[in-house]
Amino acid sequence: MKKSNILSLIITLILFFDITDLYAKDFSEKNIPVQEGGRIKPLDTYARNQALAFYGKRKIKHENLSAIDWMMDLFIYPEIGLEQKIFNIRNPDIVNALGLEWTNNFHKYSYSEISPGLQNQMPLISNIIDKKEEDRDLFENQLVELYQNMMKYRQIASSLSCLLPMFTVYDPEIAEKLHIEPGQFTSYAHIMSHRGSLFNVSQNILTKSEDSWTESEREVALLLYNLQQTSLDEFAKALKIIPPAKDDTTGLWISPWELLDGREIKPHQDKIIKSMEAYLFARYEKNSSSMDDALKSYKTGVLSFPGDRVKFSILEKETWLNKANLFTLSLVFYLFGFILLGISWMVQPILFMNIAYGSLISGFILHTYGIYLRMVIMSRPPISTLYETIIFVGFVIVLLSVVIEFLRKDGLGIFIGSVSGSMLHYVGFGYAADGDTLEMLVAVLNSNFWLATHVTTIILGYGTSLMAGLIGHLYLIEKIRVPNNSSRLKSIYNNMFGVTLIALFFTLFGTILGGIWADQSWGRFWGWDPKENGALLIVLWQLMMVHMRLSGLAKPDRFALGMVLNNIVVIMAWFGVNLLSIGLHSYGFVSGVAVNIVLFTLFELFTGFGTYYWSQLNNRKTPV
Amino acid sequence: MKQEIIKILSSPKLFVYCLVWLMVLVVVGTVSQRDIGLFASQQRYFSSYIFLFGPIPLPGGRIVLALMLTNLISMMFKQNIWKMKKIGIIIVHLGGIMLLFGAGLTAIFSSEGSMVIEEGSRSNTVDDYHNTELTIINISEENYDIYTVFDQALFVSGNNLRHENLNFDITILEHMDNSTIEPIAGQSDIQYRGMLKNFSLKEISIDKDDMKNRPGIIFQVSGSFTDSDGIYGLIFGQSVPATLSINGKQYVMSIQKKKTYLPFAIELLDFKKVLHPGTQVAKSYSSRINLINDNIPRSVLIEMNKPLRHKGYTFFQASFIEGPDGEATVLAAVHNYGRLFPYISSIIMSIGLLLHLLTNLPSLLKKNRK
Repeated sequence: MKKSNILSLIITLILFFDITDLYAKDFSEKNIPVQEGGRIKPLDTYARNQALAFYGKRKIKHENLSAIDWMMDLFIYPEIGLEQKIFNIRNPDIVNALGLEWTNNFHKYSYSEISPGLQNQMPLISNIIDKKEEDRDLFENQLVELYQNMMKYRQIASSLSCLLPMFTVYDPEIAEKLHIEPGQFTSYAHIMSHRGSLFNVSQNILTKSEDSWTESEREVALLLYNLQQTSLDEFAKALKIIPPAKDDTTGLWISPWELLDGREIKPHQDKIIKSMEAYLFARYEKNSSSMDDALKSYKTGVLSFPGDRVKFSILEKETWLNKANLFTLSLVFYLFGFILLGISWMVQPILFMNIAYGSLISGFILHTYGIYLRMVIMSRPPISTLYETIIFVGFVIVLLSVVIEFLRKDGLGIFIGSVSGSMLHYVGFGYAADGDTLEMLVAVLNSNFWLATHVTTIILGYGTSLMAGLIGHLYLIEKIRVPNNSSRLKSIYNNMFGVTLIALFFTLFGTILGGIWADQSWGRFWGWDPKENGALLIVLWQLMMVHMRLSGLAKPDRFALGMVLNNIVVIMAWFGVNLLSIGLHSYGFVSGVAVNIVLFTLFELFTGFGTYYWSQLNNRKTPV
Repeated sequence: MKQEIIKILSSPKLFVYCLVWLMVLVVVGTVSQRDIGLFASQQRYFSSYIFLFGPIPLPGGRIVLALMLTNLISMMFKQNIWKMKKIGIIIVHLGGIMLLFGAGLTAIFSSEGSMVIEEGSRSNTVDDYHNTELTIINISEENYDIYTVFDQALFVSGNNLRHENLNFDITILEHMDNSTIEPIAGQSDIQYRGMLKNFSLKEISIDKDDMKNRPGIIFQVSGSFTDSDGIYGLIFGQSVPATLSINGKQYVMSIQKKKTYLPFAIELLDFKKVLHPGTQVAKSYSSRINLINDNIPRSVLIEMNKPLRHKGYTFFQASFIEGPDGEATVLAAVHNYGRLFPYISSIIMSIGLLLHLLTNLPSLLKKNRK
């Protein structure tokens, strides 16, 4: 029976080396560094986040385009991009307000479709923008969001237009002045860097009347007109891909259009825009070897930035993580494990159960690796945002399940691990849909030491507490199913009590550590802030259960019920206190959570008390 | 009898009942913060011995925690607890005793307040967050001012405030926890002096955020037998202080946050705020200060999560103010005797729990196989 375990481990490892191998490749356009949200991220992440904001998905599904390809196309063919159905509008009221037609299942609209409608609504929109955010209703919020998305989209579409090969001259003399071959296409940026050489000609044009222009003057006039048209794009400053000058102290990266505003262009910046220009041209011509050359030179340009060195290996890891979707894969393994466990109950217990265990472990390894990569990318401890707490609680529960399964070998661990692992991944995806999950932190949280100690401990506490609650559920179910199998019930009860003690250790210690952090940064150990009270409530509840057991107030059945109800306390402390939106800790607020919390509470109350009283009913029937 | 009392006091059931009541307090005290604010809720449920629920008096946080502490201590006097097998449990409970004891010390003896210092200036006073005081400054001396201070606790209607520094008496007529001023139309009472000639001072309901409350008092000045005798009003944060001129002596009166005077001074050299590039999210705040003892400055950097500790006081980077003339830092200043208790007790409790876990877990997690 060990064989199948080893087998599944080997399969997992092979899978690993296979996918990790992917990122040994050359520098690709996906890894172009962009500054957004306070950090340097790969263009791939940037593109995915934008796609998520506009389209609602991390790729353009109906055109089967990856985010990066969509964005590159948008850079090269901005006009086509304006016609692309990219804006996902889910509210029919908005569609009506824009004078568009609400189709039944495909609510995607293009920039050109939406733009006139929004123009008409401008008085309304500026009125809403003046309002405070909490005074806006859903329609108003969505309208403003759409408006802001449109503005951003327009900016992104034009952000590289100064680097597109759109201009040419045929007059050999002028071409030479501009350092191009006659008829060769070049960019706004290139011409602007040689604009001094056109000075005399343009003076002539201005002084002479239009009919007396020579052929070459006519050409220059047209060129100047076209340049003027392109320069209207200079508002497009969203894409911050160029590291600042060395003497800059703000740490702000700049966009190509900002670079062309007349400031002195540093050598590394020049190299970057020249390479980008070459890359866009090669991509336009679909010449993959020139594309590679341009990217190589681009990377050299970024590396020659004299300030903080850009860590390409980190960018590559993030791009790989985007692609690999480790948490989705991990979810698949968990679900697979659950199904296999179900099969093992029906046929062939040992074999299928072992494969199920292997599947759980494989999912767990992917899960762990995903968390590890996120830590490496952000160079900080595993948990710092609400999203990461969810991923980490999943990790803790599956880890404990793997251990318990190893000790029990009867499927109990697989069951708990696969069910809760999948559920938490699923909840996590909901949170990930809000945007970039790798966010920067506000000052008070910006402390790796305390994130690593307090936050990790308290989340370990949440995870182990939920685990104890899950075993509590199982205990009550088994009590109904096999009321007379006292040794099985006893062993599950022991597991539950053991996990409760671990949970108590982490919640108690984590809460005290939190107090110490508060003492270090705010000057008081305890302030009765909602989040502190939430954590305290879990500790108190668990202390109560342990002492009820000790004093005989709670027999095993009641203890199990108590730990099931403890789940409600955990969820309240975890998500509920944020709903009060008061106090120093309310940085994790997410609206719409309230309904889910209520549903969860009702579910736990119903199943907890239901199974408890049902098992007591059985108790009475069983002859003593 | 003695045994009986110890048995009841040390019973785990008592502990459970205390926990249940504490949980009720925590839930009520948390939810009510929405309506009455953190400070009021904390005062009512956690920092109180008894609070009233309608007409019914109920035990507040301090009573419950004191009972739990008693319970834990009495448990140590039980015979059957002192066994090697229970060593982990004993250690945990000792840690618990220390934690509650430290909490008691902090609750009774600690004080906290804030210091606002502008860049380039210095301060040696800490303003209490919540308590106020009436300050009367005699500014008629050439080389020094004479301060006379009356604590907020004395603001009780009918109370007489008298001090040898002052050549007049004060009788408190009215005290308001939160107040506002409104201009009055028409003629005012002939007795009214100062601000009250043109404005009336009105009590309004208490704000959720205690910092926004502006206490006010109305009081009678008498005994000077000059035209200055009359009724005066003062409100916290008043832009023009009230003045009194009696027999050639000039007084300035105001209500201000209760001040604590430090045996040293702090001078702010530079306040720095760093944002994550391209965002409005703050990455760090810090204050470069001079700590001045006997006119000798020592340069110190106070950062978020890196406070300055000096002579029993701790100074934290709490906030900042950006004004047209430059920046000012807001430091939180805390004086706490019990601050080491949580550190020590958490270590003790962790060791105890770990010991207990290590001795008990292996058998608990295994599947019983018979």
